[in-house]
Amino acid sequence: MRVRALSVTVCASALCLFESGCGTQVQTVQNPPQVSFRPQAFQRPEKCLPCHQRQYDELHSAVKSGYRNVSPLFNGLESAGNLVNGGLLRPVYKDSTIMLPDGTILNTNMYTSPILTETRQVQAGFCFTCHNADIEVLGDNPNTREVPQLSGLGSCPAATGQQCFQPDLFRPLRDYVLVDANGNQILPSTPGADPPSGAMPSLGAAGITCDFCHDENGPDLNRSFQMDGFGNTSLLLNQTDLKVGPFAFPVAVKNDFHVASNDPDKIAFLRAGAFCNTCHDVRVPNRNLTAEEHNMNPGGQNVSYFRLENLSTEWQIGPYNSTNNPFGQVVRCQDCHMSLFPYAGNSTYQVGDMTVTSPTPGMFATDYAAVPGVATDQNAPLPQRKVVEHYFTGVDVPLMTPIELSARLGSDYPDPYLTGTDSHGVPNGLATRRQDLMNAAVRISLSKTDTAAQLGQTFTVRLEAVSLTGHRFPAGFSQERTAYVQLQVTDNNGFLLYQSGYVVDKPHPNTGEMAPDGNLDDEDLEHVHAVVDPGTNTPTYTAGTGTNGGNNLVFEDGPDDGPDERVFVGAPEGLVLFRNELGHIFLPGQPIGRMDPNTGTPVVAQGVHFEETFQAALANTVDNFRSLQPLHPQTYKYEIQLPTPQQLQAIGVTIQGPLHVHAQVNFEHFPPLFLRFLAGVTGPSGPTGHDLNLMNEQRIDALLKNIRDIASDDFTVSLTP
Amino acid sequence: MKIRYRFPILLVTGLALVLAAVFAQNGTYTPGEFQKSNPNYPEPDPFYFEGKIDWNLLGITQPQNAWEYLQRGIHFQDDLDDIPDAISDYQTSLSMNSLQNQTCQIVTAAMVVNGTVPPQFNPAPCMFTVRLRLGYQLRQTDPNTAIELFQEVLQIDPQRLGVNTLIAETYVIEAQQTTDLPTRQQAYANAVTAYQAELALSPVTPQSTALTGDLANNSKVHWELAQVYEATGQNSLAASEFQLYVQATQWHSDVYPWRIALAKSQIQTLARAK
Repeated sequence: MRVRALSVTVCASALCLFESGCGTQVQTVQNPPQVSFRPQAFQRPEKCLPCHQRQYDELHSAVKSGYRNVSPLFNGLESAGNLVNGGLLRPVYKDSTIMLPDGTILNTNMYTSPILTETRQVQAGFCFTCHNADIEVLGDNPNTREVPQLSGLGSCPAATGQQCFQPDLFRPLRDYVLVDANGNQILPSTPGADPPSGAMPSLGAAGITCDFCHDENGPDLNRSFQMDGFGNTSLLLNQTDLKVGPFAFPVAVKNDFHVASNDPDKIAFLRAGAFCNTCHDVRVPNRNLTAEEHNMNPGGQNVSYFRLENLSTEWQIGPYNSTNNPFGQVVRCQDCHMSLFPYAGNSTYQVGDMTVTSPTPGMFATDYAAVPGVATDQNAPLPQRKVVEHYFTGVDVPLMTPIELSARLGSDYPDPYLTGTDSHGVPNGLATRRQDLMNAAVRISLSKTDTAAQLGQTFTVRLEAVSLTGHRFPAGFSQERTAYVQLQVTDNNGFLLYQSGYVVDKPHPNTGEMAPDGNLDDEDLEHVHAVVDPGTNTPTYTAGTGTNGGNNLVFEDGPDDGPDERVFVGAPEGLVLFRNELGHIFLPGQPIGRMDPNTGTPVVAQGVHFEETFQAALANTVDNFRSLQPLHPQTYKYEIQLPTPQQLQAIGVTIQGPLHVHAQVNFEHFPPLFLRFLAGVTGPSGPTGHDLNLMNEQRIDALLKNIRDIASDDFTVSLTP
Repeated sequence: MKIRYRFPILLVTGLALVLAAVFAQNGTYTPGEFQKSNPNYPEPDPFYFEGKIDWNLLGITQPQNAWEYLQRGIHFQDDLDDIPDAISDYQTSLSMNSLQNQTCQIVTAAMVVNGTVPPQFNPAPCMFTVRLRLGYQLRQTDPNTAIELFQEVLQIDPQRLGVNTLIAETYVIEAQQTTDLPTRQQAYANAVTAYQAELALSPVTPQSTALTGDLANNSKVHWELAQVYEATGQNSLAASEFQLYVQATQWHSDVYPWRIALAKSQIQTLARAK
């Protein structure tokens, strides 16, 4: 009997390996073993330059390398998060003495914690880890630490005599990525000030370097919350001379500068979308009141989180991670972001009832992987082979001038607006590459629109949109990345009868623009009017929104209120916005951040109150389904009311048919109101009490450039009497 | 020879071979087992995800609960343009999340302890999306039910923007449909009350004006309110609302920009008629 019982158990266990829904079994692959090679500290990308010039040059212009670390937006966002929670997002290190409420010491951060069992471990270096994991690892040694651990974290009562978080001393991360000629760290004279004279970029300024990717040692399943190697830098990193490249048995490296891995698993991992998955899901440690998830690792159940960036999951479950797509093969991240895409020809295919022509992914240049005559031992000859581009082009261009970029990243930092092409025919300028990538992202059709309309009646425009991206569109920080439909209906004389997705030149008193400036790129869409509380400096810091801002000071419906009307009401009207949405659920009795004009008291939630939030640190719910699903056409209706003949007579207008419908998709990498929030919270009136020199109205006006008309269509509607 | 534990030995050996095959690395990256639960099907905790999820991602064969019926109803309406089936699913969803049959409840301040709520509610909190969507579909055919549904949304979240406008618009529909004068007058009066309630939720204050430059907001409400006042012969109030509409559109225009010129024209016309 015992034998049979054991047999059943063993059989069930064996079957369990193949059964996706089996119990709590979650791990089928172990973390790879650590191997011993010659220790080699993380190094500057310039060290790789002599043998890999092309790759260096390409990576140098990628925003994830260099720019992101000095970006006013990334730094502003990280600062805003810290200012509302007392610096919890800054890394802590091995020598930390911070005591958690349960009496344990917090001395590991998001990267160095073996298993994330405490929310505070995830918070410690939360932004910094993905953008600069190498530097965070080096930080455990005080001699190689770039970003210090803050004195006092969270909120602490002054009576305890503890050193509390001091916002007036708070520096943006980019203050720490400057060194002098001897390689010693130098800081701007005051928090956020310009780089000191002679300052050069530190190792950390390089951000995602050659080493970061080529030091990979497989996924760290323990760090990923679902033990699947997704998100929050679930990547094991070597600190040795072993470098993983995309192919086995390369020619020996000159002077043994590094050893090239022949491990087929590591090589396959580097070449797979799974490699990108380790960072391109971002799970924020916070309670989600609508869809909470928990760390599945043993002991991690108290760490709850929500999905901010969900790009990798979107790709993993999407059609491009299968053969069920127009190309009949898996299309990896590398096939669009590290290939000749979108410069290697087009393909035409059918998606639903839409015929689509778009650039072909997965086309690679043939070239040397290293510089001939320089890179190899004994000057052994190099073969030409299929090589990848290291531009990693995405949706961003720097929100800094070339002079600012040079001051922080070196005089050789490439101008994002360069002209010309490289030896593979790829544009040199990041701005051009971004534009071309965006042009390949989406297609729209108006072909199902009503063919006739009548004055005084409604008619329906039907806009079909399909995303051609490997993930949803937009993706990444998809709650701010803004793609939308601009639609106009005009008569044959150009008289404007209807508009959606429009912007209006207006003043922005909250950031000092007191009159319209003639610029439309700094204007928000008209579906919602919001101004976010930037907070204010106070003598005594208390964590939370009380004086640190983040809630909406102004929150009103606008005239183009499509997103909420379409999702919640099902009304066929208003803005078609593909942007996802962060939300804050206020529980009954909680203040929502505004004052009652009649009583002068805080307005509190009377019920369970949902409101969009633009401060990610305050989000407790997220809607990641407003973006367009790849290869899944979606139709949006606009029920449009035409004026009556009497109304037209009253304004002295005669309408002439036919009517013309024009629709186009536009993209802005961040909504201006979000940038204005960052300007406020990091500005002189914000919680630090001085200007962190990150964002202001002038920067928004000069550098926020939207990409218009990445896809378009037109339709003609006859006008019947 | 008879081996006493031959079955377990064989099984363990077999299992070892299976494991070896599973873990064998052949150059193709094998990820850890990807997210056990459907990443597109959020686990409610404790409030419903009230948005729309692409139906094909949910993997639902047959809806089982209020939330799943809502999602299928949205799919019928938005993806298939099948309004009758959408209404049917919304109604089924509502029957499972109903104040009347006590299958849902309104969450109140009394349930919030130290800023948190219980991980589970019994019965579940009431959903607003299904009420808004069903109410919107019933505005023309059953305005009274539509208004009741919208009012339930206000019980869930009294400060939710746009709901009072939906109520007001439904009263206007009711007024336009009836031939009974007192009923019409009452419906218009109710609409005015609802529009004013909407305006009260996002008041123009010295602070909001200082931050935005706006002297008025909610242009759509002012426009529609002006129409009601015109329809009821309250010309002075209509002119006032047209004026506020013009102010509210100063920096925001309108989806129907010709209305701005029309409002200015109406202001002059009403002034002449005074």
